[in-house]
Amino acid sequence: MAGAVRRKIAFPRYAEYHCAFRYIAEQALGVQYILPPPLTRHTMELGAKYSPEFVCTPFKTCLGSMIEALEAGADTLFMTHGLCRLGYYGELLEQILRDLGYQFDFINLSDYDMSKKKDLIKVVRRFNPKVNPARFLTQFMEGARMVEYLDEITAEYYRNCGFDASGGDYKRAYQNFLNDMYTAQNRADVENGYRRARSAMQAVPLDKPERPLRVGIAGEFYTVMDAFSNLELEQKLADMRVEVHRWMNVTNQFMHYKSHRNMRVKIMDLCQYEMGPTAAANIWWAKRCAERNFDGIVHIKSASCTPEIDVMPVLQTISRDYKIPVLYLTYDAQTSDVGLQTRLEAFYDMIDMRKKVL
Amino acid sequence: MEQAFLGVDVGSISTKGVIIDKDNRILSSQYIWTQGDPIGAVKELVGLLEGQFDKSRYQIAATGTTGSARKLVGAILGATMVKNEITAHAVGTTTFYPDVRTILEIGGQDSKIILVENGVAVDYAMNTLCAAGTGAFLSSQAKRLGIEVEEIGDYALRSSHPTQIAARCTVFAESDLVHKIQMGHPKEDIIAGVCNAVAANYLNNVGKGKKIVSPVVFQGGVSKNKGVVAAFERTLGCPVIVDPNGHLMGALGVAILARKGSKRQIFDFSVENMDFCTRESSCGGCSNHCEIICVYRGDQMIDSWGNRCERGARVR
Repeated sequence: MAGAVRRKIAFPRYAEYHCAFRYIAEQALGVQYILPPPLTRHTMELGAKYSPEFVCTPFKTCLGSMIEALEAGADTLFMTHGLCRLGYYGELLEQILRDLGYQFDFINLSDYDMSKKKDLIKVVRRFNPKVNPARFLTQFMEGARMVEYLDEITAEYYRNCGFDASGGDYKRAYQNFLNDMYTAQNRADVENGYRRARSAMQAVPLDKPERPLRVGIAGEFYTVMDAFSNLELEQKLADMRVEVHRWMNVTNQFMHYKSHRNMRVKIMDLCQYEMGPTAAANIWWAKRCAERNFDGIVHIKSASCTPEIDVMPVLQTISRDYKIPVLYLTYDAQTSDVGLQTRLEAFYDMIDMRKKVL
Repeated sequence: MEQAFLGVDVGSISTKGVIIDKDNRILSSQYIWTQGDPIGAVKELVGLLEGQFDKSRYQIAATGTTGSARKLVGAILGATMVKNEITAHAVGTTTFYPDVRTILEIGGQDSKIILVENGVAVDYAMNTLCAAGTGAFLSSQAKRLGIEVEEIGDYALRSSHPTQIAARCTVFAESDLVHKIQMGHPKEDIIAGVCNAVAANYLNNVGKGKKIVSPVVFQGGVSKNKGVVAAFERTLGCPVIVDPNGHLMGALGVAILARKGSKRQIFDFSVENMDFCTRESSCGGCSNHCEIICVYRGDQMIDSWGNRCERGARVR
């Protein structure tokens, strides 16, 4: 497409999913992808400076990342829809950025009904009018496959990385995998990268006790998955030699379980109706961790996340019924690393001593 | 020469230290104010502990530090055990009260609850984001009313009609309190109301959803306040145990942990005459600009932390 003006699109940095965003943007939509810089304190400062004070923390992160993306050369920003305040993010983000004087095109999924085929095609055409829908679908599915691989390998990584006996090979295998995914140009690259990661990780000797400490992670969609936003909670726990199990990710939430209706059957005793976008899944997962005799559960949310605040009393019931400790963590833009470390160390000491006695 | 173990707990408001022997008997103990200078406070503390300590009979074989300045103080004292204050409190209390089921703890800036079963902690909670209802609130209100923080308990117990004070948030509690003062409520009733508000706030926030089972042990600086103890006993409907050494429990716990630990490092009180300082350097490796804390003894760096990746590592 030499000579033609291609859109330069960006989406806020979010966990490791930029690999798949890039793939879908460049392969399926035929537009250029601008990678926002990694999330740092600078991102947070930017976001917090221009956000309303009491908005959820992920909004601030997204705003900061969008500003950094615009400064890196993006001309089109993209925002998803959602079932909580996330549904209003797009409109507010666009307004704030326009007030700051940035010029860009904004594609907000909340403006469309994505369950209608007509609207879906409209969105795709906005990204690139020349796109061939059949080709788009094929490539999009390859991108979706990459999301599945990212989630699978990430879950595997946090389950085992604390027991790496080789002094860092496990982490290196994971980093190489992320690199492979980010640079993948076609389906073969994705598949090979995945296979390489699997065999590299399997080759690393693990020094794992027969019954290691297992901790389940549940919580609000953005903060629970994004390592920067939760101050690398999963890595910190894993480094204490803990198996970290998180169900919540894009694959599980959107691709394998399109509806929570059947999930709710298993938690009928705890909640009868949908309380928020991720409530049923988090309650179900917490209950499942308890039933599988996990040593503890960590519940993560950003400050003032109402759906997750509503989940907490149900988790307290689970904690009482199954005698499983639950650590509740609230993150905002100012949350300190030291405070988190103190709470995690205490949590670890507690579940460790408890396991030895019970 | 018998072995002894030093435990130091440096909190935001006060600095506590104990030396115990191998049977957990207290040989020497001290409680002083941190006054925003943890390094100075620890040097002073070590000097005071040395004065009460029989150097010809005992030798300190291991040192533990806890509290919010545990890492800094651990570097200065060459600690063999650096533990968070929650674990230290749980270990200390369960050693002296093996039957305890609930530990309430209110310190200067933080508050926590620890639930215990069969002598081990099974659940805990610690205040996040908000320091409402901690010692700092009590001392600022004491100042407003023109009394010493140590006298609050006696004032509160003299009241028969405690004033109702909003317990949800310190900011609202404070404006409510000012309002009640201006309405002419007696000082005793207001102070008793503040104590009730602290207890209610604690149970509504940190204690929310936790099943509080007797025996209950209450510790931390605020446990010295008889008014808050009475408020807890009334609300919980069970006796609340306050250990005379309750304020030292964190230091005791970490001394016990140091004793149980495998590392040994003789401590000889020489830090009193050394110069320590902390310098903060901002890493320029990426736009995260990690604040790296470097601790120096004289001109020599003895420890550093705060970097999130290898690029920020500082070597001695």
